Amino acid sequence: MQIAVKNISKDFGKNKTAVHAIKDISLEVEHGEFLGIMGPSGAGKTTLLNMISTNDRPDHGQIIIDGLDLTQLHDRDQAKYRRNKMGFIYQSFELLDSLNVKENVILPLALNRSNKKLIEERFNYMMQLLNIENLSARAIDELSLGQRQIVAAARAMINRPEILFADEPTGSLDSKSATILLNYMQMINKKEQTTILMATHDAFTASYCSRVIFIKDGVVFSEIVNPGNRDKFFEQIINMQRTIGGGDYFNVSQNY
Amino acid sequence: MGVTISMYRKIIKRSLSNMRDSYVIYILACSFAIGIFGILLSMGDNPSVHLALHWWDNFIYDISSIMSGLFAFFAFIYMAYVDGFFIKQQRNEFLTFEKLGMQRWIIVTLSFFQTAIVQAVAWIIGLSLLLIFQKFMGMLLFFLMQVRFNFEMYLGWDNLYILLEVFAVSTLILSLINAIKTMRILQKKKTKPLVKTRWWLRIPAGAFGIILLLSAQICTAYLFKDMRMISYSGKPLAEIFYIMMDDIVGTYLVYYGFLPSILDIMERIHSVAYSGVNIFSFKYMKERLFQNISILWFVTELSALALALLTFCYFGYQAVHQNYNSAYPFELAANKDTVKVIRDELHKNKAKVKGSYKTEVKINLVSYYSKSNQTYTRQPMTFMSYSAYKSLPKRMRKGNSKINSHQFLKIDYNSSLMYSNHTNEHDIEVKNAPMIQTAKWGYSFPYGSSMHFGPMMIVPDKYYQKMPAEVTDTFYGWDFKKGDRLSRKQLQKLNSYRDAYYMKVNFKSSLEKSNIEVMKKEPNKYEAAIYTQSGFLRQGSIKKRLKQGGGFYLFIVALFSVALLVALGSVLTLRILLRDDYQSRQLRTLQKIGVEESEIKGIIRRENTLTFLIPIVFASLQAYAAIAMFDFGHHISKNIILIYGGYVILYGLFGLISFKISWRGVKQKFSL
Ligand SMILES: Nc1ncnc2c1ncn2[C@@H]1O[C@H](COP(=O)(O)OP(=O)(O)OP(=O)(O)O)[C@@H](O)[C@H]1O
Ligand SMILES: [Mg+2]
Repeated sequence: MQIAVKNISKDFGKNKTAVHAIKDISLEVEHGEFLGIMGPSGAGKTTLLNMISTNDRPDHGQIIIDGLDLTQLHDRDQAKYRRNKMGFIYQSFELLDSLNVKENVILPLALNRSNKKLIEERFNYMMQLLNIENLSARAIDELSLGQRQIVAAARAMINRPEILFADEPTGSLDSKSATILLNYMQMINKKEQTTILMATHDAFTASYCSRVIFIKDGVVFSEIVNPGNRDKFFEQIINMQRTIGGGDYFNVSQNY
Repeated sequence: MGVTISMYRKIIKRSLSNMRDSYVIYILACSFAIGIFGILLSMGDNPSVHLALHWWDNFIYDISSIMSGLFAFFAFIYMAYVDGFFIKQQRNEFLTFEKLGMQRWIIVTLSFFQTAIVQAVAWIIGLSLLLIFQKFMGMLLFFLMQVRFNFEMYLGWDNLYILLEVFAVSTLILSLINAIKTMRILQKKKTKPLVKTRWWLRIPAGAFGIILLLSAQICTAYLFKDMRMISYSGKPLAEIFYIMMDDIVGTYLVYYGFLPSILDIMERIHSVAYSGVNIFSFKYMKERLFQNISILWFVTELSALALALLTFCYFGYQAVHQNYNSAYPFELAANKDTVKVIRDELHKNKAKVKGSYKTEVKINLVSYYSKSNQTYTRQPMTFMSYSAYKSLPKRMRKGNSKINSHQFLKIDYNSSLMYSNHTNEHDIEVKNAPMIQTAKWGYSFPYGSSMHFGPMMIVPDKYYQKMPAEVTDTFYGWDFKKGDRLSRKQLQKLNSYRDAYYMKVNFKSSLEKSNIEVMKKEPNKYEAAIYTQSGFLRQGSIKKRLKQGGGFYLFIVALFSVALLVALGSVLTLRILLRDDYQSRQLRTLQKIGVEESEIKGIIRRENTLTFLIPIVFASLQAYAAIAMFDFGHHISKNIILIYGGYVILYGLFGLISFKISWRGVKQKFSL
């Protein structure tokens, strides 16, 4: 077991207007697992990912990764940990407008002061694989939403993180790009044993996972393990979504 | 209707609270200016000022109303300029309003009232500052002027009316300006295109800027030469104008040309730029500097101006002070003809004598080639022995070269205070005494420059004893505790002793044949060769006035300097605080992808340091270069460095505060 989340909770705001984003969630993730997190809008998916990835601190509870209690770490050490072990694809992309595509993608490597050769190598490989080589000199605000998302994904994966957090990574992608990205994520998950935690609304996207948990109103509602057959898994997910309500039933990618 | 109005009120409230820090700084700076303006204005017709400083008559009133007017003018320019920042900051917000279907005139009205509200708040605080600090400032003024008097708080109806008028008019104009600015934002919606580095334009422009700056320095050197040589000519004025233009344009070109280029070069060196957070910070810094070039330039020039003004004020003050000191080293001085009368009078009014001195002098004829006048000079000269000179208080020797017991010292008028050519005098012939080969220079007359005519010579004791004299005299000097207490009546009586005697010099072909004829009565006809020996010299009220004038001067200069500093500092701080939305978002993003907070803090610190450092470095270089030439290098006085140091420290303090606030603002966004 790589990640253990124990009874965490998180409130936003105070007193009357307080929102209980996460009420009481416990969770275990194995090394090399591809975990999907699903739930309606406002269920607390992003909040949960943020806390596991140390971007936010829970009000209560513990988050233990590789035996280390991250909630006990100082801000600075958390940042170091984050930088060295984790990669992120944010729901809002979080690309730097001042930098162009290439600079954005190589940012994690540059921050770790990797040598230039390695940077170029990895960059070219990544861009080729995700089929976005032609974007490399573009400015961020010249990109479409989908293009931004895939650039954000490239940045998240370029320094081969041990744990990848993906918040709605295919939300703005067409089905072809989504498939390319998901295949790649599956590949690194299999080959390099990267642990992936992915939040999504989309049943098709979730069907790539090895396990999906459903949360609603800040608690874990249920959980489905991939039976080994993606179509069947997809069916199960759709059914669960219907039970919970609020999911996307009619997604373009369903036609796949 | 009610709903829409309350919505608009909410909108105004929100945008005010969004830029809270920036508004606080702006409002504080404005209310400071308003407070000072009010204090200056009300100082003029404060009854206690009139009572305490009655002999300054209307002078104080005139000065304080001129100063307050000047102050108000600059403060207004500052407000108009800085107020624009806020409108610019709200650009996106306004555009969004319009997109959401809000009518244009409503948006314009919103910005009008927003400005008016901010202005009103600033005025309320400013007027409270006026009421709170008027007494304090008045006491400070009296303290600096060394007047023992109680300063009463006072705000006349006239002044109150003027203040309200200024408030109404300035607020209306500022609000209108902002409304127009908003209108223009709404009319041309397109976003600014990204500034491109155009090397082919920037590098030559920067190089030309450097040439201009250098030529300004060369011209400064010429200016000081010309100022000494040419007395009446338009040339120095033209030169000053040229230098100012050169400095102003040159600095801008250098900023424009090199600031981005340097950052660009750094960015291109991938081994530097691609390591660590530099990959982001260079671009970020470049963007920020691009936006701020004209403000950096503006601040640089104003700082240089401030430093130059401080320097001139200092030199002006020095000049007056030095002049005064060399004219009146003792509170009271007399010669052998008047000493008895004066002693009697001092006895009568029981003046407390702190120290009394007495020195014998000899007056003889000399001739020499004067280098400063470039003429051959013959004149009477007063001689004093070395040991007599040394027995006088130290302050008498302040402006003189150091000599030992074998050296000669010639004390003469210092024609130009800033750059006297302090060269030794050579080959001075003295009637019936050995020629003086070399004499050092000085300008502090031990008993005051107007005690006697012409120069004075300090000579070795032996030389003094052996030399003959045309006239011998004795000088007396007194210092008192709390003044000489001479009454007006006594002074009237002493008036007839003002001139002790007159000396008529009969110049012949040689010094030996020439002689001095002493006359007790004032000769009818004034001839060139008649010299007067003063009977006595009194500081009296001059000392008091000098102190008061100096204090007043200091008060005004300090006030203006501090105000200027506040203005410059707040402009820079506001520029740093008012980041574009996406700029502050980027810092947040950096944190999200695992950049340590300390590194982000480093970026903020670097941005802050650059913004504050560049102007002050350029400004002090410019000011320093000017003074260095002014003084020809060998006389940069400690005090000037002190003044500059003080300025730089205060400025640096602003930088520090600005950094703290800036970081706080960024950090607040982090926890969202
Ligand atoms: N910074 C915040 N301040 C206040 N409330 C917040 C904040 N962030 C999230 N919330 C609230 O917490 C709850 C969970 O939000 P969260 O973003 O985790 O939902 P989500 O599951 O990611 O939704 P979506 O599918 O729309 O991304 C929501 O009710 C949201 O309004
Ligand atoms: Mg979310």
